[in-house]
Amino acid sequence: MNSKTLIGVLLGVAAFAVALILPIEGLELSARITLGIFLFAAIFWISEPIPIYATSMCVILLQVMLLSGQGFVFSPRNAPVAETEAVEGGALIVPASALSEDGFLYLNKQGKSVGKIKPASVEALGGGRLAVVGKGLTEEVVVIADPTHRSITSGAGSYSAFYNTLASPIIMLFLGGFALAASAVKFGLDKNLTRVLLRPFGTKPAMVCLGLMVSTATLSAFMSNTATTAMMMTVVLPIVASVAVSDPFRKCVALAVPVAANIGGIATPIGTPPNAVALAALKENGINISFSNWMVLAVPFTLILLVFAWWVLMAFFKPETKTLEIKLDGKFNKSPKAIASYVIFAVTVLLWVTEKLHGISTTMVAFLPIAALPALGVLDKKDIRGFSWEVLWLVGGGISLGLSMKETGLAVWLIGLVSWNTLGALGVVIVFGIVGYLIANLISHTVAATMIMPLAITVGAALAAAGGFNLVASIVSITAIVSCAMVLPISTPPNAIAMATGIIETKDMAKVGITVGVAGLVLAIVFCLTFWPAVIS
Amino acid sequence: MKQVYILCIDDEADVLEAVERDLAKLETVFPLETASSADEARSVLERIKEAGGEVGVVFCDHVMPKETGGEFLRWMEETPEWRVTRKALLTGQAGLEATVSAVNNASLDYYLAKPWTREGILQAAKRLLTDYVIERNLEPLPYMALLDTARLAENAYTRGLMSDT
Repeated sequence: MNSKTLIGVLLGVAAFAVALILPIEGLELSARITLGIFLFAAIFWISEPIPIYATSMCVILLQVMLLSGQGFVFSPRNAPVAETEAVEGGALIVPASALSEDGFLYLNKQGKSVGKIKPASVEALGGGRLAVVGKGLTEEVVVIADPTHRSITSGAGSYSAFYNTLASPIIMLFLGGFALAASAVKFGLDKNLTRVLLRPFGTKPAMVCLGLMVSTATLSAFMSNTATTAMMMTVVLPIVASVAVSDPFRKCVALAVPVAANIGGIATPIGTPPNAVALAALKENGINISFSNWMVLAVPFTLILLVFAWWVLMAFFKPETKTLEIKLDGKFNKSPKAIASYVIFAVTVLLWVTEKLHGISTTMVAFLPIAALPALGVLDKKDIRGFSWEVLWLVGGGISLGLSMKETGLAVWLIGLVSWNTLGALGVVIVFGIVGYLIANLISHTVAATMIMPLAITVGAALAAAGGFNLVASIVSITAIVSCAMVLPISTPPNAIAMATGIIETKDMAKVGITVGVAGLVLAIVFCLTFWPAVIS
Repeated sequence: MKQVYILCIDDEADVLEAVERDLAKLETVFPLETASSADEARSVLERIKEAGGEVGVVFCDHVMPKETGGEFLRWMEETPEWRVTRKALLTGQAGLEATVSAVNNASLDYYLAKPWTREGILQAAKRLLTDYVIERNLEPLPYMALLDTARLAENAYTRGLMSDT
């Protein structure tokens, strides 16, 4: 274990312990435990002593063990049991102190959950005893002696609520996306589409670069940004090899791919995991965004930023060569399975964008490829094992943590530390946007979104309730800004791949990343205040 | 990241020096270890294993006193931890019979005839190391710039080695 790992582990565990031990004004025990888990997760996600998906798994474990109604802390097993006695006539004699102020008796149901019964009649017997009669109040029940015990007051839910986040509709949406992407890669649809998309752009360097960016963005809107970048690199490398070593065009195309992949991810709900985090946060607040609605919001933004990024690349790395020789050979795979995969792809996307016509929600349609592709033999068990399951765990852990932050009141308490009302709608988006942008440049976009979103949605919901603030626009804006963080090789996996080819230097990436990223930040804020609210209403 | 080594075995010191010079370009990522006999090579392998490293490719002379290159490579092929190592015979004198035996019994991956060119041995090393990285499913990023970038990228996305996290 190296010192960096050790420091990360110690800091994370210490932060967790401090949050638990220190009494904090206005925070219940459950909220303090959640704060501890949040701090532990944040430190682990940032310093990465263990892989980020493993941290997400630990989050769920800690929640199940410490925050659930069956766990170590909030299980009724820990509550004192009242002495009861059943008497003739069906009444139950209980200590008067077991009855809560509002007249309820609480029952310990096999140590697994808390039951709540309002007795039909209560008769004082003197000596601090009550005779209660009510449905379900029989000899067998275990009455909790102290109605103010934490197992009752915490309102802790079942542990299964944390597990359920792994099967949440948003996770299923991504799983559907994974299935489509896997079948596209398996039969080379991605490469063949690139070929078709690239052809109309001809052989002039500037146009080829634009063509590469359009193809990359289109694919990364449906596939993982990382896989798209790796695939496009196999297209770009021969082009790079065909131009002179001194030609800035080499750097131009090598940067065009990751930049376009990062931007393209914004375009659809399944484009990149931060979108899932945003959709899940909105869903928690009762707002469902359909595939087409997201695209109506995000595609114009994506297009403008993509063209701007192209212009920036052309300005920074002016190509010297006049024409390029591009080999675009290859044929569409026409085997029955390949055709089945194309059809499922087309049908799924068609159903996604036409939700208005048929009313079947985006997340329901997502299960079509999950079921149909294996059923038709397009994907086999090896392909299914090849899905990026760790991404789902990462997002699932984030959703689960967000759930506790909301339910225990931690999110409200945390945002109460800042008086947001004085900032106004613009100020809130700017603050969250800038913080998100800075964090996302240094750590995983998904993790950045996971940490920010529970807070952003709480502030946003409060401001939206007060009026004059568009919650959806602000969340989409923050999500888009997170995806625009691409200054460093560590900012996103596509950047890391581009860097690994050895064609570009960090300073080239930083130059382009800052220009495009800051433009994206400003554009997202402008859209948040103008275009998006207009479209949503 | 696991350290992946290149191992070169030859009883002539100037051959080892020449290989060292020719593969200097790879040295930053793939350190070169040398040995003058099969026995010395075994102790080098033991040392690498203890340090948690791996051997991506071995270039081995055929005609050596005591144990021939073909026999040594066969031993490596039969030892589980070195089975996946890519094996190249570096020789001027191996006859047809010895070569056939090496191909069949040591599953020889490459035959490099002496005298070799710098470009020749470099290309061979790159190809064999790329095969090794792919076969072992190693995280490709640290190796992309030096090895066959396109093949590593292709493998990364078809096998889903990297994800959006």
